[in-house]
Amino acid sequence: MKKIITLLALSLVSLLHAEDSLAFRNDSAAVKDDISFSHFAVFLEGGEIYPMGDLMDAVENALYGGIGVRYSYWENVDGVVMFQYTYFKPAIDVYIDGVHQFMGRVGVDWKWNPIHPVVLGGGFTCSWTHADSEAQKWSEPGGTLTDNETEFGWYARISLPVFKYQKYSLGFNVMWEHLWTLPKSSNMLSAGITLERSIW
Amino acid sequence: MNSFVNKIISSLAISASFVFASINAEMEGLEVVSRDDGTFLIGSPTFYFDRTLGAGGIHSESELWTPRKLRYRLLFDRMSVLPSWDPIETPSVWMKSGNELGDLIYYDILTNPKERPINRTPILEGGFRTPIFHGLWATFRLFQDDYYCFRSAYGVRQKQVDGYFSFFGENWPMFSSAYGGLGFTNDFIDASVLVGMEYMWLFTESSRWIPVQFKPRVEARADFGNFSTTLVYENAEYQNKRKKETGERTEVNGSIIYKCGESCRRGMLQLSAGLAFRFVGDDGVVYTGLNNDRVLWPFLEMNVRPQEHLKFDVMFGINDRDWLVQDSVEYNIPVLEKMNVSVGAKNISGTRLNPIADTHEFFDGDTISLTAAGHMDLLQGYVRFEDSLTSFLGFGLRGSFWTEYGAETFDTEEFVDDQIYTFRHGDVSRINSWIKGVTGEFWLKLWLKDVFNFTALTGFERIDGEEKRFEVNPSEFFVQFNADWLIKKMFRISHSIRYRSDAQWNLRSRDPFVVKGDWFWDATFEQRFPKWGISLTGTIIQALGKEVIEAPNGEYSRVRFVCTAKKAF
Repeated sequence: MKKIITLLALSLVSLLHAEDSLAFRNDSAAVKDDISFSHFAVFLEGGEIYPMGDLMDAVENALYGGIGVRYSYWENVDGVVMFQYTYFKPAIDVYIDGVHQFMGRVGVDWKWNPIHPVVLGGGFTCSWTHADSEAQKWSEPGGTLTDNETEFGWYARISLPVFKYQKYSLGFNVMWEHLWTLPKSSNMLSAGITLERSIW
Repeated sequence: MNSFVNKIISSLAISASFVFASINAEMEGLEVVSRDDGTFLIGSPTFYFDRTLGAGGIHSESELWTPRKLRYRLLFDRMSVLPSWDPIETPSVWMKSGNELGDLIYYDILTNPKERPINRTPILEGGFRTPIFHGLWATFRLFQDDYYCFRSAYGVRQKQVDGYFSFFGENWPMFSSAYGGLGFTNDFIDASVLVGMEYMWLFTESSRWIPVQFKPRVEARADFGNFSTTLVYENAEYQNKRKKETGERTEVNGSIIYKCGESCRRGMLQLSAGLAFRFVGDDGVVYTGLNNDRVLWPFLEMNVRPQEHLKFDVMFGINDRDWLVQDSVEYNIPVLEKMNVSVGAKNISGTRLNPIADTHEFFDGDTISLTAAGHMDLLQGYVRFEDSLTSFLGFGLRGSFWTEYGAETFDTEEFVDDQIYTFRHGDVSRINSWIKGVTGEFWLKLWLKDVFNFTALTGFERIDGEEKRFEVNPSEFFVQFNADWLIKKMFRISHSIRYRSDAQWNLRSRDPFVVKGDWFWDATFEQRFPKWGISLTGTIIQALGKEVIEAPNGEYSRVRFVCTAKKAF
């Protein structure tokens, strides 16, 4: 029994506290079970973003577009990486013309059988913003956006593939995004269309 | 392996995995941020107080020199992992990015500029290490931590230096470092030469932040046979634009150590011996000084295992100025083998906790002595018990008593206010009376194969003495709950929720600086790709707790998020 405990303890240590944070690649059982990237797809996405709550008074709805990749992670779970761009126009009169926003998201999509073909997803998101303005008026509203401002948060989304043809699929998705900003968190809702092509 | 050794190994292994959850540190050396099993107060990445409850004595770990820290960085008088110049060992490429939570983004359009929350700042790192080609490899790394920097960035520190003081951005981080180099590794030797540049703000005994630019810094290492050698060249530039002062220090430092070889490690007696050294040449205003511009520190380590249940460890160092002894003895009581009970004692005696540090600080015409006459003695005795009840449940406890005479402290003679800071004049001195402490810790662990582990850990400490001139009154109580899940060997969630009671800084401000007790929550989410050697992590650090300054003249500790991507070659 003690031997078992020892082995378990040591394996825990090696798995969780290894000096080499990539040591798990040497775990042959884990490598054998790893089916990640057995499927790989790229997608284009476009739609509209709707600021929620107080932000409705700050910026107008905006169109967005982006690219992404989807790869198998577990049997029912895909990993997703997305890069998107949008341009927000202020909803009130401020000196900046608009704000360029780039979004990077890393997460997973869960293909839960009982609700098939609907897919649930979630992950972390990061928005990088930069004001579209020649002037830099730090002491005016919107002034911080002329510097590069970045914030992290999480997203949750529902995707519905509605059309499939050979390697292509077309679907809708709705996403809720929550950024950890101050003085309050920023929430936005987006709805879009995704065109995906399976690569392998 | 006999059952007794088994027990010890399993206890050690389990406790190692449970002391704190596997929260990814935001940078090497900043594991202290996610620890509260003692008193861990962060003023900036380059200055913190780190004392584990039950460690004994009133000093923090980074104040003490030990042979284990030969390749640590000497930041003024503290031994620090950060900024680490240990080449990353795995051939890989990596990137790290993060931010303190709370930028305004679009709320800035709605917020009165005068009521804006203070700016939140990021973290940045990128680097690679190539695979070995005929023994040769190359590495590069750029890293800086902009957390703990913005309160003093523009109003104060910007005025101290000419131009920007970092590799990237305009936040005036407390350190910014970049190096690149080549290495050679085969069966006989592991050697490397790294060359880089570094911006750093060092915190001194006067409580000032002193900007230093290492331009260049060169570090060469070679491990061969039973020897480890390190040689560093630093050209450090000092400046204070406000006072129109400049200075330069050229320093050569390093170490050589002979470690006990394979055959001796199996024997009863293991011996190691080494030498740490520093040679400095100062020109202009450098703010600190080293007696005779050099320190040579020979030391000896000895581990004795006279029998299976008994071990002695001794470290002894001496030179013309100082001596330092650190020794310990531990006995696993055979008659209580089933209960896995061990008793032990440790002692630290010496004229100085860090004998290789500078000996003087120069502050506005005053010379602050960083050494004190006499010596300190710390004695600690402990009892430790740990056992597993079943194959998934274990528990343990540790109780100790310690007493210290001649503890290093500071005699503050005068405080000086300068903008947002309070500085102090005086000298390092000693508390020449006995300080006594009693500690107790208890832990409970649950684990399920390599899928899940959980620990609940609590501890208390009571310190007493005639003279309470401690720089830090440590926290007296903590409790923490840590857990790690590893799902299908590919997805890891680690989290840690903990409470630490009040701690208090003295001697660095007119009134005691109380760091209120609080709850903190940290969590790491990691996607692993074993077949591809890829890891993607996101870590939330210091959530729940109120965002406060944890050290005098320090910076706010804020909730932050860090994400890292790594790919092994």
